[in-house]
Amino acid sequence: MMIEAISHALSLSGLIWLGSTLLFYWVGLRINRKYYRYPISHPLIFTAVSVGTIVFLSNTSIEIYQQSASFLHWLLGPVTVALALPIYRQWQRLHHYGLPLLLSIMAGGVVAPIFAWAALWCFDSPISMQLTMLAKSITTPLAMEASAQIGGIPALAAVFVITTGVVGAIAATSVFRLFDVTDTQAQGVALGTVAHAVGTAKSLQMGDEVAAMATLGLCVNGIFTAIILPIIFSFLSP
Amino acid sequence: MIAGMQRWIFGAILVLVCFYVGTWLSLSVGLPLPGALTGLLILLAILFIAPSAEPYVARAASPLLSHMSVLFVPAVLGVTTYWTEIAQNGWAIGIAIIITTCISLGISAKIAEKLLAARHSSQGQNDD
Repeated sequence: MMIEAISHALSLSGLIWLGSTLLFYWVGLRINRKYYRYPISHPLIFTAVSVGTIVFLSNTSIEIYQQSASFLHWLLGPVTVALALPIYRQWQRLHHYGLPLLLSIMAGGVVAPIFAWAALWCFDSPISMQLTMLAKSITTPLAMEASAQIGGIPALAAVFVITTGVVGAIAATSVFRLFDVTDTQAQGVALGTVAHAVGTAKSLQMGDEVAAMATLGLCVNGIFTAIILPIIFSFLSP
Repeated sequence: MIAGMQRWIFGAILVLVCFYVGTWLSLSVGLPLPGALTGLLILLAILFIAPSAEPYVARAASPLLSHMSVLFVPAVLGVTTYWTEIAQNGWAIGIAIIITTCISLGISAKIAEKLLAARHSSQGQNDD
């Protein structure tokens, strides 16, 4: 798998597509740094739209692009493993805040996927889409792995997750006012748990303490959801 | 410089070994977890058992983690394959993502506020 991905990367089309993806990502990062206050400036949105436009205009099939850039896709596996590092670092802090915080994160982690799934269920959407929606509040690599495992669609999971994050980050301030939540720690926990990394990026503007709580929510909810979803489904469909 | 490089290589090898062992374990033992997630749990266990491995893992993992957005590009472009399905369910997806995310965000924050307030008031008794 790794060797295959590297050999694709070293072919001519590999170099062109990998190179242009990284170039657009670099531009996307610069835009994001300049307009960091706006969640819509997430570098993935700019990169995906730009690369998608080029792929479309050059009449390249999406399969060819995916094959050429398969090295990036392959790295998703190692990056998922690497998430152990932030989770490990958050563990001590979780211990410090104790049970109330853990329960808060679990509440958000259960409420968000159930509401999202219920909306699709009411509209009688395809089952694969309903299952994908269950993973929408956790960080993208974990959501893709977990959704693939339970019969969802990883590509769709990535899009749902990013959109959720952007919506959550944009709406956060008004939502907290509407629900009359003034405790900044509680705001941080909710942002990280429901709107993962994009929400956490937003929380950085609300202060260090809020960002720390958001990171905790992101890590704890991510790992628990990614473990619990596949286990539940392995019992449901033996 | 050389030491940094060595750390990076050691950290990268550790992450890769966890990834492949995790993948192998998930497949051969038939764990319900995806391989990469099993790999994550193995690495997490290593970090808890040997905290001295942290700087090595950090050296290799941190740059990858801070730029992980770019890794989703090939997958995200794959949604064009599901375009008709998405268009048919546009309303449902819109409601599921926009409305329920806002409601969940509000409810979670409210629950967290209540739970954390209980902690604030009982602070001092069990402050570790």
